[in-house]
Amino acid sequence: MSQVLTTPPPVGAPRPWKFPEAVTTRTSVGAPVHVFDRPGQYVATVRVTIAMPLIAEPRELEGVATIMSRTLDEGTELHSANEFAAALERHGAAYGVDVSSDALHVEISVPVSHLAPAVELLAEAITRPAFNQADVGRHVTIRLGEINQERANAGYRAREAFAAHLFDPSTRRSRPTAGRPDTIRPLTNVEVADFYRNNIGPERAEILFAGDATGVDVAGVIDAAFSNWTSSAGTALETPEPIYLPGNRVVLVDRPGSVQSQLLIGCAGPDRRDPGWGAAAVANHVVGGTITSRVDTVLREEKGYTYGTRTSFAAPRKGGTFSLGGAVRTEVTGAAISDALRILLEARDGLTEQEVQEAKDSLIRTAPLRYEQADSVAQQVGSNIANGVPIDFADTYLTNIAATTAAEATEAYRRYVGTDGLLVVVVGEAKDVRPQLEGLDLGELIEVN
Amino acid sequence: MPLTYPIAEQTLDNGLRVVVSSDRAVPIVAVNLWYDVGSRHEPPGLTGFAHLFEHLMFQGSRNVASGQHFSLLETAGASLNASTFFDRTNYFESLPSGGLDLALWLEADRMGYLLDAVNQENLDNQRDVVKEEKRQSYDNRPYGDSYERLVRLAFPEGHPYAHMTIGSMEDLDAASLEDVHAFFRKYYGPNNAVLTIVGDVSEEDAFDAAKRYFGHLPAIPTPPPAPDGTIGPMTGVQRDDVVSDVPSDLITMMFRLPVDGTPELDAAGLALDILAAGQSGRLNRRLVRDEQIAQSVSGGALPLIGGVSFGTLTGIASDGIDLQKVEDALLEEIEKLAADGVTAEELATVQAQAERDWLEQLATCAGRADEISHHALLFGDPNRINTRIDQIQAVTVEQVQAAAQKWIRAEGRVQVTYRRSESGEEE
Repeated sequence: MSQVLTTPPPVGAPRPWKFPEAVTTRTSVGAPVHVFDRPGQYVATVRVTIAMPLIAEPRELEGVATIMSRTLDEGTELHSANEFAAALERHGAAYGVDVSSDALHVEISVPVSHLAPAVELLAEAITRPAFNQADVGRHVTIRLGEINQERANAGYRAREAFAAHLFDPSTRRSRPTAGRPDTIRPLTNVEVADFYRNNIGPERAEILFAGDATGVDVAGVIDAAFSNWTSSAGTALETPEPIYLPGNRVVLVDRPGSVQSQLLIGCAGPDRRDPGWGAAAVANHVVGGTITSRVDTVLREEKGYTYGTRTSFAAPRKGGTFSLGGAVRTEVTGAAISDALRILLEARDGLTEQEVQEAKDSLIRTAPLRYEQADSVAQQVGSNIANGVPIDFADTYLTNIAATTAAEATEAYRRYVGTDGLLVVVVGEAKDVRPQLEGLDLGELIEVN
Repeated sequence: MPLTYPIAEQTLDNGLRVVVSSDRAVPIVAVNLWYDVGSRHEPPGLTGFAHLFEHLMFQGSRNVASGQHFSLLETAGASLNASTFFDRTNYFESLPSGGLDLALWLEADRMGYLLDAVNQENLDNQRDVVKEEKRQSYDNRPYGDSYERLVRLAFPEGHPYAHMTIGSMEDLDAASLEDVHAFFRKYYGPNNAVLTIVGDVSEEDAFDAAKRYFGHLPAIPTPPPAPDGTIGPMTGVQRDDVVSDVPSDLITMMFRLPVDGTPELDAAGLALDILAAGQSGRLNRRLVRDEQIAQSVSGGALPLIGGVSFGTLTGIASDGIDLQKVEDALLEEIEKLAADGVTAEELATVQAQAERDWLEQLATCAGRADEISHHALLFGDPNRINTRIDQIQAVTVEQVQAAAQKWIRAEGRVQVTYRRSESGEEE
């Protein structure tokens, strides 16, 4: 019965798939609650997404939103920091916060069997934080140590330099989300509590559950836990459109002792409101989205310069970016940049029908994998809310991808990549890299220590 | 209470063990192969070989062109990769269930006929790629060589766990095409692997498909077992003190631990969790929250099958704090746990955390397939995925203390420290 087949067997048509549907209600204080029942997902995620545009931070206190977010669970009106952690972890829960340029996400993942007590603790952190100076001061110190770690990390340095040179200084995103030493050091529990009072409240929040809801009144559990949440924060400010800096330029960040150069090459990109967002994703997949893409076929598989590079279109609520990122060995930095730029610019000449069809198949067919786990549904929906798109945006996105032609993918790419110049960031051993950049025609060279 | 994921097993005539866990609620299927070869099987002079080999498995085989493995699967909607570790090498993909045949065909073609496609050119190319992987993952990041330093101290020279999976670049440079071919013939065959299929397929159809694509592959001669790594707890203290341009001073201690699959290892792992896991662990409470001498602490057990496992504890000193203080506090807490044991509440907390971790690991077809392959290959029993939580819950405070007393001790450890040179200090 067994035989050697010398050609690939056919692939059967995938079963139809849609993004999971939510049952949406409101808490008694008005915050929307979206319940995604995912049978078989015994660990649930409960995620509270709160609109928190970083433009609300005073310029001289940038990072206050991050310190505030990190100290929500460090002592509440009812529990000390140690007591809170012990209580939450005793229920098998893990707690985390994430601060982006538009929103604060506070979440727990917890076995559904422990849902109610864990959600009560989540609500306690969000609605009744104590902000004791001892805890705030400790987090300021930890953040300063974290900045040292970031400075030693080539990937982080590249992202920081990329943001600083892609955006005008008047745009908040030109500077680190979590602040710099001079804006972190002055922070005390007074500034942190002020920021909380002015920015956190149920009017700005949406609450998500994803997990196996069999036999559990999830909306009731959430409403009970958050029923006393009051605030005078009102609604959030709207972030202005970012201002990009155009033109070709190269930023060389000296990182002595580096054995590789960390590259980040890019420009402005669309955001999710752009009707070409899906077409841009298709183009990205072809150019640098996978190991078989145009860039890695040369940089990794042909030349062996890198363990791997990837391109992406990424976007918060407003104003996206395109970038190619990866690390290459120091000696071939110039050659790798040259190859990468050539491939990025040649893609403007057109993506083939076959490339685009394969990219569409891959992006559409991987969707059920991406959202198999409850947590990934909560991540996606939280990100949709933060970005100001509908919670089922994944369906729109996939529909747009399915309708994309090769010409449209090329057009979406051409509109951004190489149109207003490209920013090249290199983090590495400057004395070895500098000579390799000469003659590459990358525009102005800016050196950073 | 045991979990109830269905498990069905068959062994093909050529020795391939096939395990199927059907789940028709999702439209996808996961295919996962564990080969019984990892860095612990590498003889001196061939370190890094199992991992280099993993890369070559993506370079084509008799009926698959270079790059085609990725492109065919990606177009079918797959997420795919491979990984190499001390104990095994693992190849996997998840994709919409209509692509099951394609995934099995590709895996079978490279299991049976890889060598038709391995040549000097792709060997040289992937050797370069692996070197970049080592630079990226180890050499170009602070503290990146800490585990390499620690396992060298924790195990005797030539011990199967005395070198890291990434291996030595000198050994990789010396690897010839002939070595690669010999390695494949020795370890890559149906009777040295487990194939797991999880997801949207019936048991019957999954077994039929496994037979259809793998049934004709010949068995290989039984591979030689990995060298026996059985070794007891450490005696004495060995240090490796590094001065370098690191962002903060850091210490990592390593302990030998019992072999995987034993209640004693579970107990030792829970002891390390009580010290280092989560926000409520003893080390976080004392070093980070109360005394504020550390920016962060971490640690845990790394279960291994070859006669011994290991575990670590790490502390990063707060700015301006002497790393010796962190070391002293770690040692005090280690000895306190050994002397006084743990509370029922502490144990229940880390058990609850382990339960969530385990349920999350099994929450996707891919995660379930990986653990099924793991338990089938290393323990001969995939059903253990359903009883794993009960095993962890069965550990008592007495067992935790006994394991800690024997294995996690101040006078039985190795450690690496990284300190900033005076000139390298920040500000």
